Amino acid sequence: MVNSYLAGSLKEALEIRARETVRPYGGGTDLMIEGAEDAVYLFIGKIPELKQIIVDDTYIRIGAECTFTEIIDNDLIPEMLKNACSGIGGPAIRNLGTVGGNIANGSPKADSALIFFVTDSMLRLVSTRGERLLPVREFYLGKKKTALQSDELIAEVLLPRADYKNYYYKKIGARNAQAISRVSFAGLMTFSDGRIASCATAFGSVSDVIIRRDDIDAIMTGKTIAEASAAKSAYIAAYDEAIIPISGRISAEYRKAVCMNLLVDFLESNGI
Amino acid sequence: MKFILNGTEVEYTGALNARLLDVLRDEYRLTGVKCGCREGECGSCSVIMDGILTNSCLVAMGRAEGSTIVTIEGYSNTERFRALDKAYADVSAVQCGFCIPGMILASECILAKNPHPTEAEIRVGISGNLCRCTGYNAIVHAIDIAAKEGSGLW
Repeated sequence: MVNSYLAGSLKEALEIRARETVRPYGGGTDLMIEGAEDAVYLFIGKIPELKQIIVDDTYIRIGAECTFTEIIDNDLIPEMLKNACSGIGGPAIRNLGTVGGNIANGSPKADSALIFFVTDSMLRLVSTRGERLLPVREFYLGKKKTALQSDELIAEVLLPRADYKNYYYKKIGARNAQAISRVSFAGLMTFSDGRIASCATAFGSVSDVIIRRDDIDAIMTGKTIAEASAAKSAYIAAYDEAIIPISGRISAEYRKAVCMNLLVDFLESNGI
Repeated sequence: MKFILNGTEVEYTGALNARLLDVLRDEYRLTGVKCGCREGECGSCSVIMDGILTNSCLVAMGRAEGSTIVTIEGYSNTERFRALDKAYADVSAVQCGFCIPGMILASECILAKNPHPTEAEIRVGISGNLCRCTGYNAIVHAIDIAAKEGSGLW
């Protein structure tokens, strides 16, 4: 009979991960839809070291096996991330699904991953060989392809401590609950002395990987509202060229139109 | 592996990647756990696992190790169930009944977390449970009545 593995601690899990070919199983909400009978799982969803949410000087550190419900209910988590997690599935999906699984699944439709892109979050990846920090943007290599090595697990998501109060987030789905994003968008803008101190955007469900172009967003940095308004058409044109949507159940034309509408709405919500 | 099922510790020796839904129905004969979609869309297989609403179709047995699981069969012995049962009956919130075991357990989880929910909070709480008969309004109404008439139970 095919075996699966239970691990009580991170150390034990990493030893099994190094030794065997296993599928890490967090909440299971994606894996069980496949429900492969010959799957060899490594159950990591209850490992205490992977379930903490703590703050250090630089980051809010979110254990990879924290469920969406645990994130929504935690006071340390910024409203923007809570908002995105609240739109995932329904209550029972949020009770099981984890951020680590949402990221490791490698999908550009992952609603929590969009927030980790726009905030330039890091991942802490661990194995028996040690650990490494990787920007979430570098974790995604392509459709369903990630930088996770066969002996590694995602231990934590490191969300930089910053000002996320002025955020813009919209998920476009067929309905409010139990819907997969057709297009999702997150934008952040901060101001200092009447000028844009930072501007960041991310587009989900559009391409094989979530789109995050800080080179384009840099157009807005340092500008007053008036200067930003003057640069608006160049900024929008740069994204119009950069976004090349995939088509699937939803057409590329629809995705593109929604992306551009959301980008404009983000700017307008900031008076630009 | 062991887990607690409707208050009794049970030992499970089958495959760790079997679905909790199938094990509950086929091995433990708890057929109040309904199979609708097997992909977490419909909520008819809902159980309460470690105090929270869970789609049993999305749980491999290994994930349930050491957990406390309550199905509609176990829940129906409680005072809280009787309050919900009466409220659902009073407003005819049940038609074909297929979604109702899951819907009752979703109702319990709403009220356990928030004994005085608003209508909007009730609707979010049942948003993962599909009902093709009632149009939901009667169910929302029933949960609201249970919250008021069962005051103190939650």
